[in-house]
Amino acid sequence: MSRVIIGMSGGVDSAVAASVLKEKGYDVEALFMKNWEEDSQYCTAEQDYNDALQVCDNLKIPLHTVNFAKEYWENVFEHFLEEYKNGRTPNPDILCNNEIKFKKFLNYAFELGADKIATGHYVQNEEKNGNIKLIKGVDSKKDQSYFLHGLNQKQVSNSLFPIGDYVKSEVRKMAEEQGFNNFKKKDSVGICFIGERNMKEFLKQYLPANPGYIITDKGESIGEHDGLMYYTIGQRKGLGVGGGHSDLDAPWYVIEKDLGNNQLIVAQGHNNSALYHKHLKASNLHWVSGSPPNRDRYNAKVRYRANDVPCKINEMSNTNISIEFDQACFGIAPGQSVVFYDGEVCLGGAVIDSYSN
Amino acid sequence: MYYFDHSATTPLIPEVSELINNINREIYGNPSSVYSLGRKSRSIIENARNQVANSISANPEQIIFTSGGTESNNHILWSILKNNRNHVISNKIEHPAILKVLHFLNKYGLKHDLVGVLSDGIVSVEEIEKAILPETSLISLMLANNEIGTLQPVKEVVEIAKKNSVLVHTDAVQCLGKIDVNVLDLGVDFLSLSAHKFYGPKGIGVLYVKDPKQLSSLIIGGGQERGLRAGTESISAIAGMGLAAEYCVKSLNRKRELLLKLENQLKSGINKFYKEAIYNGNQSKKLPGLTNISFPKNQSAIMMAKLDRDGIAISNGPACGSGDVKPSPVLSEIGLDNQTNLASLRFSFGSTNTEKEVDYLLNKLELNLVK
Repeated sequence: MSRVIIGMSGGVDSAVAASVLKEKGYDVEALFMKNWEEDSQYCTAEQDYNDALQVCDNLKIPLHTVNFAKEYWENVFEHFLEEYKNGRTPNPDILCNNEIKFKKFLNYAFELGADKIATGHYVQNEEKNGNIKLIKGVDSKKDQSYFLHGLNQKQVSNSLFPIGDYVKSEVRKMAEEQGFNNFKKKDSVGICFIGERNMKEFLKQYLPANPGYIITDKGESIGEHDGLMYYTIGQRKGLGVGGGHSDLDAPWYVIEKDLGNNQLIVAQGHNNSALYHKHLKASNLHWVSGSPPNRDRYNAKVRYRANDVPCKINEMSNTNISIEFDQACFGIAPGQSVVFYDGEVCLGGAVIDSYSN
Repeated sequence: MYYFDHSATTPLIPEVSELINNINREIYGNPSSVYSLGRKSRSIIENARNQVANSISANPEQIIFTSGGTESNNHILWSILKNNRNHVISNKIEHPAILKVLHFLNKYGLKHDLVGVLSDGIVSVEEIEKAILPETSLISLMLANNEIGTLQPVKEVVEIAKKNSVLVHTDAVQCLGKIDVNVLDLGVDFLSLSAHKFYGPKGIGVLYVKDPKQLSSLIIGGGQERGLRAGTESISAIAGMGLAAEYCVKSLNRKRELLLKLENQLKSGINKFYKEAIYNGNQSKKLPGLTNISFPKNQSAIMMAKLDRDGIAISNGPACGSGDVKPSPVLSEIGLDNQTNLASLRFSFGSTNTEKEVDYLLNKLELNLVK
């Protein structure tokens, strides 16, 4: 039987994924990855490890551990800081999948004698005519193809996604039935290495904050910001300026980060046209199949959990793409990725550089 | 299961296991109670105290039962805080149960200096002598290192310490049952032991104190252990430790021979298929049956995982709570670069290992190692 090494985080998804594989008869082993060195003496990774250990003991499969903290720092975290420094909103989870989980982890698993790797991601893959497709997870609320769009043929074909055809509620139920202690464990939110910590406090440790003024789209100063890196385009909460400043009583949204003048530009109301754009330019273009599909219309997502919006390609090179949406999209943020779909099939994506009307 | 990690912990001697079970089933009196049930418990504890004392040539009143080596080490270092002379000398390859405690106690005013070791993993007596200051009150030097097994010149250090009125503590947790541990011969003031390293139960250990009247309690409460270690005694664990200590001393010569034989079998076997192997630390001045070997071109974690599949339990030395394999500070200290450090395995044999098991180990090593 072929040997599958599954990335085991201590969470419910990877635990159930492992049990599904085991039921299918694979020779399953688990690998716990440590990608971040704790900065305090108290080791939070230890609880995750303990959860993983109990799951593996329950399933009677071996658990290995590997430390990729150095690789994560060099390949993901430094880029993450650089992007913030440039006023962008990076997506380290995408980079982590490309550089760590489906590269370092994959290679390490092969060194351990694996035939395939597996993860608890909500995505599916399917081979057709020698081409392997990355497909959205069945649970549309949990679909994680946005984060995996940067994978290539080798990476997708060497991976199994055992829970891609389950919905989250089934997964939790299976975890409870299996007697996994972590079946009630909260889904992880936000960026893995920041965890439950406050993003602002976290960033402050690495980047100098440079406070400045908050300016409305009409050019009026209405308050101060703590540093542009703390804000994202489309953000509403945490601006420190309530609604109702003018006659209108609507909340304020970030529409632009003016790095040159260190100003945060805001506009009022979720429907404000300044928050919606029809065009974007992106770089680092990647196609899961290895080459651009033979078509000029796609559906595209500009952030995780955003709706797919039909668009067409205006210009495209090997690395860059310029697209036009049929309808203007909310909160396009440079640094995030635009990800292309053909129905349920995830085709690839690129990193957003700019937007316009 | 092929178990070659006796420096991490050891299995119980079957007789010890039986004794522990019997006591747990029948003897539940509080040893501090004066009625017969209590006196029975007390008598079991005092019998074990005699067994432990005899095993290291101490007197029973010099033996304090603790929860293990870590507590024994903590007890001594914390007790120095109350000393007017607030400087401790130790060395860079001690166990974290010394090094981290010293680091922690820094902020309470306990100063320390750590001397290095030579590339063979042994401290230089002169270096220790040079580090002695007027305010030095204690030298803590392990009897044998837990990762490479090298024996430290504790006896020589005691002589120098005495001239300077400095006390000496030795962490001897790796030693009982492998070499002769004799407090009279060593001349140390304090010595730590841990039962689970010599085929006794976990969670119980010993602090030997030459002059118990000079010591104060770390764990404070009821007046157990003559006021030096409060808390109701774990009768069965203490009894199990006593019996294990007695066995270790009785079988010492036979066991030493076995451990040496298995170690030599391992080394000559490895020499046949892996000439590039590096034997870390002094290979003659060390504990029998414990040897740390680097296999260049390999990774500790991968080797361990592959051997684990074959039912072989082996480690590379230290492991953190979340199971990741880190470079050993001991191997770094004796000059190994990170890559060689992370290509190392610690083999530690025990009294139940056989030549046949070592043959199996050699066979699996040959199959799994990248040459």
